[in-house]
Amino acid sequence: MFDTTGFWKDIFIFILVLVVVYTLLKIFVLKYFKNKDRAKSIGLNIALVIGIVYLFFRIFKVIDDNFPDFSTMFMMTNIVNQALQVSVLALATTGIVLIFKTSATTNFAQGMIATFGAFVAAKLIQYFTLNYTDLTVTNMVFLAMIGGAITAFLFGIFVDAVIIRNSKDKTPIGKQMITMGLVLVLAGAMPLIFGKILLPIPKMSYEPNIAFKLFGIDLFITVHAYYALIITVVLLVVLFSMLRFTKWGLGVRATASNELVAGMMGVNTKIITSMSWAIAGLLGAVAAVMLTPNATNVTVALMTPTQVNAFMAAILGSFSSFLGPLVATVLIPVLTGLLSLIVPLWQNAVVYLFILAIVLVKPMGLFGKKIAKKV
Amino acid sequence: MICRTEVCKDRKARIKQITNHPYFGFFIITFLMLIVQLLRAAGVPVSNTLVRAFGITMIYIIVALGFSILLGYAGLASLGTAGFVGIGTYILGYFTKNLEASVFIVILVSIVGAIVIGLIVGFISLRIEGMYLAIITLGLSEILNEVFKNAVSITNGTNGLGLDSQLILFKNLIFIDHNTIFIVTAIIMFFMMILTLNLIKSPTGRALLAMRNSTSAAQAMGVSILKYRLMAFIVSTVYAMLGGVIYMSYISFSIPTTWSLAFSLNILAAVIVGGSQSIYGIVLGTFMIFGLNLGVFQQFDFFKNNPAISVMFNGLLIILVIMFYPGGLIRLVTTTYYKLKKALAKLKTKWREYRYGSDN
Repeated sequence: MFDTTGFWKDIFIFILVLVVVYTLLKIFVLKYFKNKDRAKSIGLNIALVIGIVYLFFRIFKVIDDNFPDFSTMFMMTNIVNQALQVSVLALATTGIVLIFKTSATTNFAQGMIATFGAFVAAKLIQYFTLNYTDLTVTNMVFLAMIGGAITAFLFGIFVDAVIIRNSKDKTPIGKQMITMGLVLVLAGAMPLIFGKILLPIPKMSYEPNIAFKLFGIDLFITVHAYYALIITVVLLVVLFSMLRFTKWGLGVRATASNELVAGMMGVNTKIITSMSWAIAGLLGAVAAVMLTPNATNVTVALMTPTQVNAFMAAILGSFSSFLGPLVATVLIPVLTGLLSLIVPLWQNAVVYLFILAIVLVKPMGLFGKKIAKKV
Repeated sequence: MICRTEVCKDRKARIKQITNHPYFGFFIITFLMLIVQLLRAAGVPVSNTLVRAFGITMIYIIVALGFSILLGYAGLASLGTAGFVGIGTYILGYFTKNLEASVFIVILVSIVGAIVIGLIVGFISLRIEGMYLAIITLGLSEILNEVFKNAVSITNGTNGLGLDSQLILFKNLIFIDHNTIFIVTAIIMFFMMILTLNLIKSPTGRALLAMRNSTSAAQAMGVSILKYRLMAFIVSTVYAMLGGVIYMSYISFSIPTTWSLAFSLNILAAVIVGGSQSIYGIVLGTFMIFGLNLGVFQQFDFFKNNPAISVMFNGLLIILVIMFYPGGLIRLVTTTYYKLKKALAKLKTKWREYRYGSDN
């Protein structure tokens, strides 16, 4: 579709130059710094930022070569189109990171619990359309979303309080395996519970697109994506302020740093973990309900790609911070959307390769701090 | 029944020598797997799906054995298995269909490829550990899946790559029926089990175990982390790719959707459910996860119409095993075996007391 001659060559040469410059600096300049580790990590960060900026710049140049007059608009439209993906991914990733912080395990069932919530929401919508015909679409989806979120909230509590707390194997890998088992159980149970009828969820609104201006460029955003963005921002702001200013948030941070010591200091770690599982389920369910209109119907595999992307975002932004993964959740869909213009079909693979390369350079992620290992 | 003569005692000792040999159990397992095929050869009407179920289970046992070296011995959790098995299937498919290469060349190529990929992942594992490694290998598997989907000229894309069930041994096209491949698979499985046992009982296996328990302690004892991590990944990848090659030659069809995250999770589940440090455990786990569903459940119409139930059963099994028997089902089996043995011994002494009177 696009003429991309020279794109990969330029990227490759740029990376090579970056590596050579970094190595030279490391050999000849690093010894003059007092705090070598700090200087090294700052240097790496600068190199990565330069690399990412250059990647965007080079993509822009490709678009500019093909559409000389509309290049900026084209790129901005492409970025704005990812608003829904970004908000869905942000919610899913925050759920995974929250669980990783309190339970020290990666929750593979996050997507499935979310899909369960979406199924309940779709059933509710079916019920509303039959019995309450005077409800508008927006109100209906919103009520259903709350219903689905509450279901996923309770399910999260159930998973932690009934299954994981009573498990004999409490190692991270054991917990991870339980969530994997849960994936299979839910994948089997959901078609049985909700039947084989297609369950659609409508968009939150079918009003005409909202037009707005950014840097003097006319852009459009669908009302559905706009609402999704608002819901995401509100949920995340509430969550982060809870983490920052409430006792529960303090408990989460204490549990994240050391569960045993937090327990000894009087933090009720059981309630803290249960609540984080519940909130993760809630966030996931909201994300799933917002994502479903893209696929028209709720299916078992609805959240699987989002789940993989969420893991990637969490690892790119580092599990040890909350804000790092959020930056990654913006970066991944935007980059995927732009690369789909340049390498159609291969965009996911290329983005994963980039993430792999970045994580190889910085094992703890973009915003992670290196944790000193004690023997 | 009671043995009194020298000849009889000698014979009994010899039998015991055979049954106590570590390979004897593997032989029995292989034989049990082959029974279906033998029955069919003898004229008993065995359904195709049952034979196929056993064949697939054997292939997955090979993959799971490789994975257990990684998880149970080196302590590295990887979710890239699906991608590696997928590569194996496509190597055989492409080389046989387009290049008309011999099977032996294919196996050679896949082993070389496995070594290269194992080296890459091994080097990644040196920098990234634990949960992070699982997610990174998951990403690698996703990349491979994208390649399977999009490299249409090699993999035939999402339609799947089919072979006309013909393999090339030397030069000419030779048609090998699935029954022969079934038997060859059983033999390969037997040798893979022996190889695995020898590997984990050797100094290499002990070094891997030391590394699993504590990398720092292992390094202090002179175990090279670099060498053994790379080796664990290479061995596991070779097993996986070989499994892929056999899968393709047996099923003659490979489609990208098979090599998704679910496959890696199932292999992981098989290893965990059975017991990650025991070969018998892996056989048991693979049978529970794959064989039971394919071989037993699919025979009933109820399960055939509701495939979701068997998936649910697998999930429940995993959760229950981890909740109550973290060592795997094989530990349950061995503990009940010893309990039974103890109870039998007690009964025997009681019977003797009753028969001959007590010592006092």
